Amino acid sequence: MAFAWKAAGITYNRYLAVAARVVRRSLKDDKRLAAERRGEMDLRFAKWENGKQGENKSLATANTEAMAQHASGSSQ
Amino acid sequence: MLSRAARPAFKAGAAVALRPAAAAATLPIAQTANYVTLREIEGRLKSIRNIEKITKTMKIVASTKLTRAQRAMTESRSYGQTSNKVFEEAETKPSEEAGKTLLVVCSSDKGLCGGIHSGMTRATRRLMNEHPGDYDICVLGEKCKAQLSRSNAKELILSFAGVGKDVPTFADAQAIADQISLLPTDYASIKIMYNKFINAQSYEPTVVEAYSEEAIAASPNFAAFEIDDEVLANLREYALANSIFWALAEGHACEQSARRNAMDNASKNAGDMISKFTILFNRTRQAVITNELVDIITGASASE
Repeated sequence: MAFAWKAAGITYNRYLAVAARVVRRSLKDDKRLAAERRGEMDLRFAKWENGKQGENKSLATANTEAMAQHASGSSQ
Repeated sequence: MLSRAARPAFKAGAAVALRPAAAAATLPIAQTANYVTLREIEGRLKSIRNIEKITKTMKIVASTKLTRAQRAMTESRSYGQTSNKVFEEAETKPSEEAGKTLLVVCSSDKGLCGGIHSGMTRATRRLMNEHPGDYDICVLGEKCKAQLSRSNAKELILSFAGVGKDVPTFADAQAIADQISLLPTDYASIKIMYNKFINAQSYEPTVVEAYSEEAIAASPNFAAFEIDDEVLANLREYALANSIFWALAEGHACEQSARRNAMDNASKNAGDMISKFTILFNRTRQAVITNELVDIITGASASE
């Protein structure tokens, strides 16, 4: 079983998030607003090395970047 | 003559009146005149009243948030338990082989909620001391990060901020799970530590296990589910996100209820202080009047 999204370097969770977003966006306006609030994610994260905190980055952009990298790495 | 004799007794009385309030508030009260000046007490009273207003408002806000958080918690709990049902049925055990364990500590960004974050940190440290060197820590929320970075900075590898502003969403949990699964190190198991909500007054740090692929594959009843090896990684990621979501929601509910309690206590203490200071204020006022009267009478009797 090969998944197209797996080949694109997307994790299962990301795949679910995208699918959920599509469903939420296709809802009617009144329901959509309430539903889209559940899909919001505004986290920041930092990597630590040897007891030092690294740069604070937005989690959403970092995740997409990491997956894009993963995808180009696996296709080569 | 009489007034001279009366004065030391009066002074002693004033000192006694001062003591309960001073002990409760541990104020640097100016003891020069043996009674606090009226203006000082007045200022003090005013500031305590303001603090009481703030804590009361925070308590109300926390109460309303608590009902929402509790609803989210019960929903996410049944969700997480359903997700874990697979592993229960498959009788999955955490893999015995020695390897690093990732400890995900679920706290939040905000304080003013009693000791739940420190309780969390203490439980983490206890766990780390039992098996030193086996753990890496991933912290969700600023509070535990600040505490753990002082003692276990070497073991910290990831920290997330922005947790606990609102009821945690599944999108939060998914993004965190993604970032964790993208970590270069392969962990033998992932442990998620969160505050378990027992009732409005009590909660305890609890650990929930998120299994590694090997552990899932090695579980005795695993064959009954007929899961392909390829989708196993998906299951693991998904289960991790589910568990994190559960932990976050439950931790959030605990935090809100702890904040409500903390603010309730703070308002109560402020009320106590206000009543004590009001009494002290009135006593001092009377004392000042009496003192002045005594002075006047002494002067009058001396000039006769």
